[in-house]
Amino acid sequence: MEKLLDVQNLQMHYFTSKGAVRAIDGIDLTLMAGETLGLVGESGCGKTSLGSSILRMPSPPGRYVSGKILVEGRDIIPLSEKEVRKDIRWQKIAMVFQGAMNCLTPVYTIGKQMMETLNVHKEVPKAEAEALIKEYLGYVGLPAEVMTRYPHELSGGMKQRAVIATALFLRPSVVILDEPTTALDVIVQAEIINLLKKLKAQFNLSFIFITHDLALEAEVADRICVMYAGRIVEIGPNADIFGKQGPAHPYTQRLLAATPRLFKKVEKLQFILGTPPDLIDPPKGCRFNPRCDRAFARCHEEVPPLEEVEPGHFAACWLNSHS
Amino acid sequence: MYKWFAFKRILKGIFTYAIIIFVLSALFNTVTDKTVRAEIEEQVRAESSRLKNVPPAAIQRFQEQRRIDLIQLYRLDRPLLERILYQTWNSLTFNFGKSTIIKSSQGERDVLTIVGEALPRSLLLFTTATLFEIIIGIALGLKKAQKPGGSMDRITSVITMIVYGMPTFWLAMILIMFFVYNLKLFPSAGMHTVPPPEGIMYFVDLLWHMALPLLTLLLIGFWGVAYYVRNIVLGVLQDDYIMAARARGIPEHSVLFGHTLRTAAPPIMTMSILSLLASITGAIIFEGIFSWPGLGNLYWIAVQQNDIPVLMGDLTITTGIYQVGLIILDLTYGFMDPRIKVGGKA
Amino acid sequence: MSTNTTQSRLGEFWGEFSKEKSGIVGLILLALCVLVVIFEPLILPWKEVNNKWRDIDYWQDNPASAPPEWTNFFSKTKSPVTQRLTKATREEVDLEGGAKMVTYTLDYKYEADKAPLDVIFHISGTGDIPMVVSIERPDGVKVDLFQRFEQGLANQDIRISADNDGRNSAFAFVKQYESEEALEAYSSSSLRTTDLLFNTAQQGMARQFKPLKGTYKLIAQAMIMDPANMDIKDPYVVVTGSVSGLLGTDDSKRDLASGLIAGMKWALLIGFLTSVVSVVIGVLYGIITAYFGGRVDSVMMFIFQIVNSIPVLPVLIVISAVFKPNIYMLILVMVLFFWTGSVMTVRSMALQIKEETYIEAAKALGAKNGRIIFRHMVPLLIPYSFASMALSVPSAIVYESSVSLLGLGDATIVTWGQILHDAMQGAAVLKGLWWWIVPPGLLIAIMGMMFAFIGFSMDKILHPKLQTR
Repeated sequence: MEKLLDVQNLQMHYFTSKGAVRAIDGIDLTLMAGETLGLVGESGCGKTSLGSSILRMPSPPGRYVSGKILVEGRDIIPLSEKEVRKDIRWQKIAMVFQGAMNCLTPVYTIGKQMMETLNVHKEVPKAEAEALIKEYLGYVGLPAEVMTRYPHELSGGMKQRAVIATALFLRPSVVILDEPTTALDVIVQAEIINLLKKLKAQFNLSFIFITHDLALEAEVADRICVMYAGRIVEIGPNADIFGKQGPAHPYTQRLLAATPRLFKKVEKLQFILGTPPDLIDPPKGCRFNPRCDRAFARCHEEVPPLEEVEPGHFAACWLNSHS
Repeated sequence: MYKWFAFKRILKGIFTYAIIIFVLSALFNTVTDKTVRAEIEEQVRAESSRLKNVPPAAIQRFQEQRRIDLIQLYRLDRPLLERILYQTWNSLTFNFGKSTIIKSSQGERDVLTIVGEALPRSLLLFTTATLFEIIIGIALGLKKAQKPGGSMDRITSVITMIVYGMPTFWLAMILIMFFVYNLKLFPSAGMHTVPPPEGIMYFVDLLWHMALPLLTLLLIGFWGVAYYVRNIVLGVLQDDYIMAARARGIPEHSVLFGHTLRTAAPPIMTMSILSLLASITGAIIFEGIFSWPGLGNLYWIAVQQNDIPVLMGDLTITTGIYQVGLIILDLTYGFMDPRIKVGGKA
Repeated sequence: MSTNTTQSRLGEFWGEFSKEKSGIVGLILLALCVLVVIFEPLILPWKEVNNKWRDIDYWQDNPASAPPEWTNFFSKTKSPVTQRLTKATREEVDLEGGAKMVTYTLDYKYEADKAPLDVIFHISGTGDIPMVVSIERPDGVKVDLFQRFEQGLANQDIRISADNDGRNSAFAFVKQYESEEALEAYSSSSLRTTDLLFNTAQQGMARQFKPLKGTYKLIAQAMIMDPANMDIKDPYVVVTGSVSGLLGTDDSKRDLASGLIAGMKWALLIGFLTSVVSVVIGVLYGIITAYFGGRVDSVMMFIFQIVNSIPVLPVLIVISAVFKPNIYMLILVMVLFFWTGSVMTVRSMALQIKEETYIEAAKALGAKNGRIIFRHMVPLLIPYSFASMALSVPSAIVYESSVSLLGLGDATIVTWGQILHDAMQGAAVLKGLWWWIVPPGLLIAIMGMMFAFIGFSMDKILHPKLQTR
């Protein structure tokens, strides 16, 4: 199995007037062909920043500080904007943004926007291009006449599907999906998730699926990666993290505990005390230590590295450490 | 769907226009009355001077009779409201009558002709100016929006504020003083040299005369457009779909000129058209300084010469242009912004 | 819970505003203008300019269309500066029969390269005064300019102009150096008395001017026949130079600096009154129409559209031409048009506020409409109101100056627009009298700039999205 994406010790900070926000502070990550990697965490943990960083489009005032992002073996950080635009974006890596309803330019028809995207990357005669667009619209379950519509004329679910179609029609190897269903109602959400599963199988895609919804992650992801305060705190196969053993990191454990179960009666909902830390001046040592009820002296001093707790399952916590 | 909307809108415009003309007629009623009375007097005197060999008493009686007849003819003996309505109706049907003093270029005194001649001249000058302002303003505004807070942005913003309250007529005076009398580069007044040259030189001469007023308007005008464009574009650039377009690999110039500008076009066009309309209606002094023979200049001459028919005619046409402009704006807005249902695809 | 009170909003607003440099600059300039208005009586070069702008006598000693004093700095040939000499020494000599000979002497230091246009003596006299006025030149020559016997004065001003009254004496003086023919060739109309008086005494002095620099003594001597009831006093001399004042003079000899300073208060008055009143009306109008909605909105918006579609300047001109209003009437008429400016924006903002749940809550609690409007909606619109006010001041000032430029303004006051009107009448553009044209318009532009600085900074606070990092 080939490594499609290899993120090595990535650091990306937002340089604001109040200081540098260490949004991504040392992330190592790999994506293998054909898998869905789930990226999960609270708001502000850096998962969206990671998504846009992988696309080589950090939001201003963000800048890469160190590390590599290898796409099919090629580091994309030092590339020029032109090279990234021509080779990488949309052809190798595509992204479905959070709130896709706002991702379509309101004054152009869907067809025009899809056509424009296609023409930027490939020289295709008009008839063929149209045929291709219609084909993909079909895959996402949209009628061809959607091409003549403006974004405001479509429902949220339809817009989302159109965006997915646009993301796929260049057959990228990696698709980053950032909260693709958050703004939709549960029924449409289920439809979209099923659609995504189908397409993944059909085209042998690899996904990075970003969400804060743990339950959704359990449903779609092969591997789960838990982020906290700009760092990965736990990463492992779906079965292991949600399986009998359960998660190895206190944060993941509390996240899981906080998810209400359908068949269990609870007196009081469990939640995690405190708020995510300030990323300009993060806490010393393990960043979760202010909110962890099992933190001890070492937690406040040294940053725990990711250590293997069982084959393929890593966690960054001194509680699991052998040293 | 659209036709119905268009029809309603035009109807509403005409109705509003009628009310405005009514208000204006009411405002100027006293003045119009005085003028008509003076005209009647003149006519009576002219008629009676042609009478020969008639005893004075008879002349007197004749004059009185004629006065009564004419007053009746011009309805001066009718109640106030009726007079105003009569005036309103005349104005709305563009029946302005004859001027008291002013003549058209062919020497005619038909007010409609006089005003009709002046209209295209104003349009020529101000539409050209607005066109340039839009082009330069959009170009500058885009540049500013690309590097907000940069030195170009800040310096041009300061200049915008400096010229904000600058009277165009004053700048005109200074430029005339410098370029016309000091450097002797441009002609001092009017639209053409007298007599106007033939053939291609006619247009060159026209351009030469138009240059200084155009320059004056531009020097003050495009900054505001640039500032407005900058703000609108900045707002659009922060919207998600712009980032999404970039993520899709759309090249930056397409993002800027295609997606951004196209989305920003409706408010920019609205502002430009409104500013064009405003400049035409407010052009009285500006045209006066350059003796540019348009509607504004005509209005001023009419005020000075107390030529009320021309004044009413000019005012009616000017207000009319404004209304027509607003109607066109409403009707075409839908074509520019597909999110507005009317006018676009239903 | 945030306090929505007017006070806290204002405080917040000020905090943000003080961060904008241009806004502060604007405020400082505004403060300077206000200071000028307050201290106007002190700084005016000609103190009675407000009342006597159209009084020919008040300005009669000035040169007409004279450039400002400081232009001398830029030219090689120095023009004499218009001055008023007041320091006089009084000598009395007793004569037989109880009469007195009173002599006043004033010194004038002449350093320029061109001759002054005139030298004018003023003295207050009471009774019957025979008087001789003379000039003693640095070369020792004393020229008796004029003799006059004023009768029946009651402490009135006697004015003797060298150019008018001293012509003959001057020519007599020059006869020594020029032949009759030469003198006739240079007919008396083109040569001024002062061209001769201040000239070096030599052959050909009528044809060529060579300044005789030095201290001139200007002497007024009168015989007081009855010292108990007659006297002369308070002499002063005005040397009419070819440059005058801080900003020169117009063709009616009026000192432009005084006129412009006097105009400042009117500009501020017009700007403030018009903008404040019209914005207050407009904002309230917008809030009310948005708040009550429905029929009220339809009617109010219809009225709005009518008034908005009437072209302001043409109507303003005709009203001014027919009714000849004073400045307050003009402001009133302007307000009647200007209020429409804020309505649309305020209406859409108010519509948004209306949808807020706290408004619904207030209504549910039974709060009266007035209270909701003034307590909840108005405070949110105060920042916009201020920005709107600041940004409409320049228009008001320009409209008034437009009306005045056409000669239709309030004739009892001095405004910058009027000065420009006089400039146009006096063909200043044609004649290149730049000091007449540039300053008034420049002041209007500066006022505009000032309020633009203030208004745009406020605007930036209202739209934080457009701020840059």
